[in-house]
Amino acid sequence: MQLGAHDMLNTAALDIRAAVSDVRVASEWMAGFAAAQNVPPEQINRLDLCLNEALANVISYGNEAALTQPVLLRMHVRCEHGACEAAVTVSDAGMAFDMAHAPIAERPHSLAEAEPGGLGLLMIRSFSDALTYQRSNSRNELTFCVRWNGQAAA
Amino acid sequence: MPIEFEDTSDTLRTIRIAGRLDLVGTDEIATKFAALSTVHDRRVVVDLTGVSFLASIGIRSIITNAKALQQRGGRMVLFVGSNESVAKTLETTGIDSLIPLFSDQAAAVAAASA
Repeated sequence: MQLGAHDMLNTAALDIRAAVSDVRVASEWMAGFAAAQNVPPEQINRLDLCLNEALANVISYGNEAALTQPVLLRMHVRCEHGACEAAVTVSDAGMAFDMAHAPIAERPHSLAEAEPGGLGLLMIRSFSDALTYQRSNSRNELTFCVRWNGQAAA
Repeated sequence: MPIEFEDTSDTLRTIRIAGRLDLVGTDEIATKFAALSTVHDRRVVVDLTGVSFLASIGIRSIITNAKALQQRGGRMVLFVGSNESVAKTLETTGIDSLIPLFSDQAAAVAAASA
């Protein structure tokens, strides 16, 4: 996207451990930066859901590399002529796994046949407006984005 | 206290959960939530009005305990009141088709007791 004189692009980055205790650190970092950029609360909640599901996937299913190397978080908030988007990229060193295209388990028809689990993929795809994946430098890079009409902070 | 309960009759229990049901928050309440839900032949209303954030790990916990209760002859319903974000998460994931979901407390109690 090419930015004009009246467009804003603000970025932030954070490295965390692939650990349960750092998930809230990540959430608070994301929410704080987003709020400072005038991202509406509803959009922050959507980003928070996606961020939690992405990190939960790394922590729950990651191999040794995923769990011992830092998880890199990058975020940007961008507004162009009132069309805004906020995007978070989660980069982990685990084995390749494409959350954007992995098959989603069929939903059960009753509580009796429901198996806990498998909701993370559904949630991250449902609550993001765009979801992209790439493998780069032996790392998974998952980017989720939410969009709204408004203005970013100057 | 992020989880508490009230037995309003011999057959009806309300479990109130508050705070963030993320990885940390769900782990904090998991043992007590399971203990409160694994009662024989009791109806349970889970009050989620005080939940500020509901991740899939929190939904897993709800499903697990609802199944355990059902296997003991009981029934679980969910009460969300005006908590739109939690209601949307439950509806988006289709949980409302597995466990009845109510915004009205009286309706939740009636459905649990039916």
